[in-house]
Amino acid sequence: MTFTGAIGSFFNYPLRAIIAFCVRWQVHPNLLTVLGVIVNVVAAWLLAVGRFPSAGLVMLIANVFDYIDGKVARELGQESAFGGFWDSVMDRFSDIALFIGLIILYAGLHRTDYVVITALAMMFSVMTSYTRARAESIIARCKVGFLERPERIVLFMLGAFTNRMAAALWVTLVMSVVTVANRIYFTWRELNNSPKIEDRLAANLAEEV
Amino acid sequence: MSVKRVLSFPLLMLWHAFFWTYERATWQYDLWVIAILAFMWLVPPGWLGDPMARDPGLIAWIRALVP
Repeated sequence: MTFTGAIGSFFNYPLRAIIAFCVRWQVHPNLLTVLGVIVNVVAAWLLAVGRFPSAGLVMLIANVFDYIDGKVARELGQESAFGGFWDSVMDRFSDIALFIGLIILYAGLHRTDYVVITALAMMFSVMTSYTRARAESIIARCKVGFLERPERIVLFMLGAFTNRMAAALWVTLVMSVVTVANRIYFTWRELNNSPKIEDRLAANLAEEV
Repeated sequence: MSVKRVLSFPLLMLWHAFFWTYERATWQYDLWVIAILAFMWLVPPGWLGDPMARDPGLIAWIRALVP
């Protein structure tokens, strides 16, 4: 098992218990989604006032709601197209709220450089979701690129807990740019039936010496 | 061995690292996670001009320990 797989399995136990609790009490999944956004807004405020460890803890709680809403919907047999749409829209509000919290913090510290970095990271994070959503309206699937929402959220939490938010923002920015580029290229390639670069490189490797 | 063939392996690795098509919890994913965590925790915050970090970071601590 990979180490990220082991971490995932470890956190799965408490999450299963929370999901079972919500299913038992018939908590509506859309309510869990809204609660996730509200708690994320609290985390954003904590980021804005520079209380990173508290913000990390609140983000952890918020993301439990984010994580379990779909699973609870499935177990309650309440999955719906609107639920999926609602979840995606609310996720964007949560993401943007956290970035705005950091922009307020850095603006208060008169750090224009980090205001710009945070704003760019926010722009490319939103574009990461948008490029996939738009691509999947014209091609079957566009699940490429490393930095999706779960990675972004974990980066934010680690940055907050260990007070390394600047590094987390740099990683978010660079990897989001790469992910958006991945998705644009993948969509272009799918639509144009272009040969794959990796196939060409692999063919070079397979050449007889 | 042709130059094209020699260059193909590192280029293919770089291509797969940045044009990401792997799932989570694969060894390739683990490598990226380790690289990102190393960047976050080993790079001294001063190098990034971190406005909030209060400590010099792991590398500075290690350098302080080495006479």
